[in-house]
Amino acid sequence: MSHAAHATVVDEKELWNGGVSPFNLSYGKIMMWFFLVSDALTFGGLLSAYGFMRHRFADVWPHAEHVFVHFPFVKEHIPLAYVGLMTFILIMSSVTMVLAVEAGQRNDKKGVIIWMLATIIGGLMFLGSQAWEWYNFIVGTEEGALRWVWDDEQGKYVQQIVHGANMTVNEYGIPQFANFFFFITGFHGFHVFSGVVLNVIIFIQVLNGVMEKRGHYEMVEKVGLYWHFVDLVWVFVFTFFYLL
Amino acid sequence: MHFHDNYPEYEKMAIHGEEEGKKARRVLWNVFWVMLVVTIIELIIGFIAPSKGWTGTFGLKFFFITLTLVKAGGIVLYFMHLKHETTFFKYTILVPYSIFMLYTIFILLTEGTYSMSPRFRNKVDKLYYEQQEKLKNNEHHFENVEH
Repeated sequence: MSHAAHATVVDEKELWNGGVSPFNLSYGKIMMWFFLVSDALTFGGLLSAYGFMRHRFADVWPHAEHVFVHFPFVKEHIPLAYVGLMTFILIMSSVTMVLAVEAGQRNDKKGVIIWMLATIIGGLMFLGSQAWEWYNFIVGTEEGALRWVWDDEQGKYVQQIVHGANMTVNEYGIPQFANFFFFITGFHGFHVFSGVVLNVIIFIQVLNGVMEKRGHYEMVEKVGLYWHFVDLVWVFVFTFFYLL
Repeated sequence: MHFHDNYPEYEKMAIHGEEEGKKARRVLWNVFWVMLVVTIIELIIGFIAPSKGWTGTFGLKFFFITLTLVKAGGIVLYFMHLKHETTFFKYTILVPYSIFMLYTIFILLTEGTYSMSPRFRNKVDKLYYEQQEKLKNNEHHFENVEH
C-alpha cells in the first residue's frame, strides 16, 4: 500500500459506488467521529440549558471566583487556580495522547507505551482533582449561609445556616447552580473515567503486541479521538462554569 | 480472524517515517504552547474581571467564547487530525453540528422569553439577593483571607 497519506486515486464518479471509502478513512474511524458528534450534541444541549438558566437567574447566580477558591495544601483562598491546573493537566494528557498516536504511526511500540501511560496518569490525576473539587463544594465554607430548610419535626421550612451544597440545599446560591454543577461536571467526569478505562484496555493490548501483529496502531488513534473529545468538552465546561 | 473485503487498507495509510514524524511532533508541541498561553490569558482575565467591573458585560463574554473556540479549533483540527482529512469529511463533521448548535441557541433566545413572564417569574427568596449583596461588598475577601 502506498505510504503517501490520503492519496487514493479514484475516479470521482466511482467514489460513492462502493469498494472505496469516500472519506479516505477506515470504517472504525468514521464511526468514532460520528459517535463524537452525537456526544457533542448531548453536551451542547446540556451547556445551552446551563447558559439559559444562568442568565435567567443572573442576578442571584453565584460567582465562580467566590465559590471555587481552594487549592491543595494552601490555606489561603486562590480563586480559579486549581481549576486552571486541572485544565492544564487535561490539555497535557491530550498532548501525550496525540504523541502516542504519532508514535503508533511510526510503528514505534515503545513510544506508544510511554505516551499512553502518561495519558492514563494524566486522566487519573484529573479524575482525582475533580473528586477533590466536588468534596470541597459539598463540604462548603465554615461560615455557611442562611437557607430555608425543611424541618420534619415542625413540619415546615425553617431558616438555618447550611454548609456546602448537595441535592437539597446549597450554601452558594440558588439550587440550580449546584444541580447543574453536579450534573454537567459529573457527566463529563464519567466520560473521563470511561476514557481512562478505554485507554487502559488499549494500553494492555499494545503491551501484548496485538497492534504489532495487526500491523497498524489505528485503535490507538480511535481512543485518542475519544480522549481529545473529552478534553474538548472540558474546555467548554471550564469556560461556561468558571469564567463566564 | 481478519475480515477484510476489497476496501483499500486505510489503517495503514497514516503510517509515516521518522522525518515526517519529527515535523508532525513540532507542530503538535506548537499547538500545545498556544493552548497553554490562551488558557493563562483566560485565567488572568477571569481573575481580574470582577475587580475591574467587567463581570456580565458583553465584551467579556465575547472574549471568553472566542478564546474557547480558538482552543476548540486547536484540539479538533490538530489533535484530532481533522485538518488533514478530506474536505468533505471536515464538512460532514462540522456543518451539521454547527447548524444544530446555532439553531438551538437561536431557539433558546427567541422562544425562551416565556420564563420572564409574570406567570413563571417565581419570587426568588430575598435570602439569595442578600447573599449577593454581602459578597459584592466583601469584594476583596478572596485576597488571601483565611476563613
